[in-house]
Amino acid sequence: MASYLVKRFLRSFITLIIILSIVFILVRQMPIDGYFQNFEKLNEAQIQNGLHEMGLDRPVFVQLFDFFKNLVLHGDLGTSRIYRAGVPVAEILAPKIPISVRLGTLSLLVSLLLGLPMGLVMAKYKGKFLDHLGTAIIVLIEAVPAAVYYLFLQFYGTTALGIGMTMFSEADLHNPVYWILPVLSMSLGNMTYYAMWLRRYMVDESMKDYVTLARIKGASETRIMFLHVFKNAFVPMVQYIPTSFLNTVIGSIYVESLYSIPGMGGLLVDVVKRQDNNMVQAIVLLFATVGIIGLLLGDLLMVFMDPRISLTKKGGDR
Amino acid sequence: MSVLKHPKIDKLEQSVSSEIKQQFSQEELFSIAPFDEAETERTGAGSYSYWRSTLRAFRRNKIAMFLLIMLVVIVLFTFIQPHLPGQFDPNAASFEVTATGQSKPLKNSPPDSVHWMGTNAIGQDLWARLWAGTRNSLFIGVMVALIEALVGIVMGVLWGYVRKLDFLFTEIYNVLDNIPTTIVLILISFIMRPAMSTLIFAMSVTGWIGMARFVRNQVLIIRDRDYNVASRCLGTSTWRIIVKNLLPYLVSVIMLRMALSIPGAIGSEVFITYIGLGLPADIPSLGKLITEGRKLLASPSKRYQLIYPTVILSIVTVSFYMIGNAFSDAADPKNHL
Amino acid sequence: MSKPILSVRNLHVKFTLRGRELHALRGIDLDVLDGESLAIVGESGSGKSVLNKNFIGLLDQNGFIPEGSIRYYGMGDKMRNYSDCAGEDENGPYVDLASFKRKDEWLRIRGSEICMIPQDPMTSLNPLKTIGWQISEALRLHHGMTGRMAKEETLRILQDVRIDNPERRFKQYPHELSGGMRQRVVIAIAIACQPRILICDEPTTALDVTIQAQVLTLLRELKEKYSLTIIFITHDLGVVANIADRVAVMYAGDIVELGLVNEIFYEPKHPYTWALLSSLPQLGNRGEDLYAIRGTPPNLFKAVQGDAFAARNPQALVIDKLEQPPYFEVSPTHKARTWLLDPRAPKVEPPAVIAKLKELGGAHHGE
Repeated sequence: MASYLVKRFLRSFITLIIILSIVFILVRQMPIDGYFQNFEKLNEAQIQNGLHEMGLDRPVFVQLFDFFKNLVLHGDLGTSRIYRAGVPVAEILAPKIPISVRLGTLSLLVSLLLGLPMGLVMAKYKGKFLDHLGTAIIVLIEAVPAAVYYLFLQFYGTTALGIGMTMFSEADLHNPVYWILPVLSMSLGNMTYYAMWLRRYMVDESMKDYVTLARIKGASETRIMFLHVFKNAFVPMVQYIPTSFLNTVIGSIYVESLYSIPGMGGLLVDVVKRQDNNMVQAIVLLFATVGIIGLLLGDLLMVFMDPRISLTKKGGDR
Repeated sequence: MSVLKHPKIDKLEQSVSSEIKQQFSQEELFSIAPFDEAETERTGAGSYSYWRSTLRAFRRNKIAMFLLIMLVVIVLFTFIQPHLPGQFDPNAASFEVTATGQSKPLKNSPPDSVHWMGTNAIGQDLWARLWAGTRNSLFIGVMVALIEALVGIVMGVLWGYVRKLDFLFTEIYNVLDNIPTTIVLILISFIMRPAMSTLIFAMSVTGWIGMARFVRNQVLIIRDRDYNVASRCLGTSTWRIIVKNLLPYLVSVIMLRMALSIPGAIGSEVFITYIGLGLPADIPSLGKLITEGRKLLASPSKRYQLIYPTVILSIVTVSFYMIGNAFSDAADPKNHL
Repeated sequence: MSKPILSVRNLHVKFTLRGRELHALRGIDLDVLDGESLAIVGESGSGKSVLNKNFIGLLDQNGFIPEGSIRYYGMGDKMRNYSDCAGEDENGPYVDLASFKRKDEWLRIRGSEICMIPQDPMTSLNPLKTIGWQISEALRLHHGMTGRMAKEETLRILQDVRIDNPERRFKQYPHELSGGMRQRVVIAIAIACQPRILICDEPTTALDVTIQAQVLTLLRELKEKYSLTIIFITHDLGVVANIADRVAVMYAGDIVELGLVNEIFYEPKHPYTWALLSSLPQLGNRGEDLYAIRGTPPNLFKAVQGDAFAARNPQALVIDKLEQPPYFEVSPTHKARTWLLDPRAPKVEPPAVIAKLKELGGAHHGE
């Protein structure tokens, strides 16, 4: 078991390094005019000078090496160049992380709480009215771009709740009413996914022989749904739940900026536009880490839930 | 992030895979074809044609047929519209002559007989912009879907056939599967100059891997058969097998993936435009219309500027999505009994 | 002769497939006697599984019963107040399974009255529940047993089905067990329900030969111990000879011959039974091709005229192709649906192998 964990962990670690390197190299490809306030007025020497000051004139791979060296040796992510010039990135991010985590966690919970019962009901009443209703809801949420229905949710939702369109003050941040719409917006996408997958797996599972045996045994359909089919349908989904946490965090990019929530998602848009390299890297590092921990956690959860999978080999890949 | 792929795609891929596997094993001389009533019925009903059954099942879905026709009409209209009489240039501002005799842009003019959907904040004709935007957004969507399919197939075939590349591709798969798509989209859109090609590239750079993996798995089935000398001697030629037993199924998976990628790409364009990294100023798109309209959401008299593009966008994306869903049910060989 | 526990009369079953109707069962008449073991044999697609699915209410969604009755006598008066389908005839109070409308009516029958061992033990157990849980679920459902009591009973049943080390098995998951073991667990689940009738659907096909014999022996023991009525669905005539009291031969959705096991093996009357017996590998002569029935069963989407087997029978009579034969009684326990038994029919001798079979069997009996 220990050796599996070590191997699995190493894999994740290598993937993380590759992703970070790719992002680092991509970020260095940005147009240089974005690094200067008044690019047009500068002469060549001034530009070179500026790039040298920022350490951007060195070969990309040297910069990359330095980045990893500082990260590993000092846990140093560098300082912000422009967002809050000179302030260590970690210091800027620290107060924002809990907000994004809270938003992500709440959304994940809500999407599970809504999506699982929805999928269950759809599977149980397959082909009947409730199934069609669920499908209609799913189609709307899936097909209409989130970027569009978020707008309407924001506009009509805030009016209905009698609150301002965005969070303006520190006090709003602590008012649960202001959290309802962002959390709801972010959970809808995952909700439909859970519902679709659970319905699909439950329909598949209920064709299986063990369900027939349960029926032969004399178990009622409700009992079969809950005690036999649900768990078998849920186990393959468990693997993806930690990963979908990342999806909700990604959703926060849009939602946070829409509602002016001072989290990481909104910040990413900001720092990308301002070419604050170190900030971009740090946020991507965080996102990628969350994603990879999610995958790792998913695999472990799977081992925990499914007696057929032993820790010596990786579970079914899908 | 393709970790949680769409259940419809997953389902169709699984059925298609098992169907292909079954077809390949059936032609093996020594295999005992499993007997079931459906199979006897199938042979009893004459030759079974996958595409005929698929089309028949699809045609039976009235809603999907209706949406398909509507979609075709919309697409055709986006091309016809500029050639109709009395149309405006989507990028040119209209002017009005004020009481003082000066000419100034006709800003936010409500719909009338000249500007059928009114004008926007800088006097551009919204009717023309709506159709130009729909055309551009659809173009982006279709291109992304086509590139994903094309690159996916080529890479998938390489991945499956060239054993030496397997390791490389598996690594690429792991990485691409772990990078959040949205972040790639944001980074690339920013690094490259704003252009239609930039957006298309940014959106399709991660999406092909899912298709490639599916193609690879199917190619492996043929490859293993190819190495199996006995079946090569006894069976039909590999090309015939590919054309007859693999291609039709592959095409249906591609079509489903495309039907679902197009609304996805159209949605991504809206998102990327919202954060300010979209198309250059002279190319209208649905995302642009929605972002512009959003600013007017609070004033009820101008809200139509958001509503019209939203309605068209929703019709287009919902149609693609529902046609895709209906098609995946129709194309599932398991439903052909 | 004991009383019937299950009585099937003129049972028809149809399936709708792509708007067409498949006539899967064409007027079955069959009595299952209390305490017997009855084998139902026939090719795949002959309808033997469909017939049995009716006894337990598991007909596929697109299947339906246009006419016929299945009277079950095992419950006495218990269903009277519960179901409109209950009644009484010369065999006593019954409930007609063919006319059930509600799902909860079946819940009173399934498991506790009629239970079934499905074909494939590898896939019939819930992979995420322990063996112990799955067996005691039956006890919970039918006997209200929980906790320690259920566990003790489960351990006892595990011993009954000859599973060693029951304490350990109780906590194991299906994937940790071999195919033979899983088959025993499936049997244990059926036993835990304590049914009157046990249907075994190809109980040995998924198992390898050495384990087949053990499972058959086990079923025989359990039949005595729990006084079960057993229906075997099989195409393995070896199983039939080994375990059955009576045999029903099915062809194209109909029972063509029914009799005691000796009557079917040594005095078969229907040409289809002859063909079936002739294809036994044990009867083949070295160097000769094994006998195989030519042709395919009739297409049940079309109405069958006359004897369904006529088309494949080289010695068919003219009338076979025109009119369906009635049952001719050979002995009080033996009847067959063939015009060959009509007094007007020419004398057609069964193939030589049938005589050989009788010889072999006779010698065996003589020992």
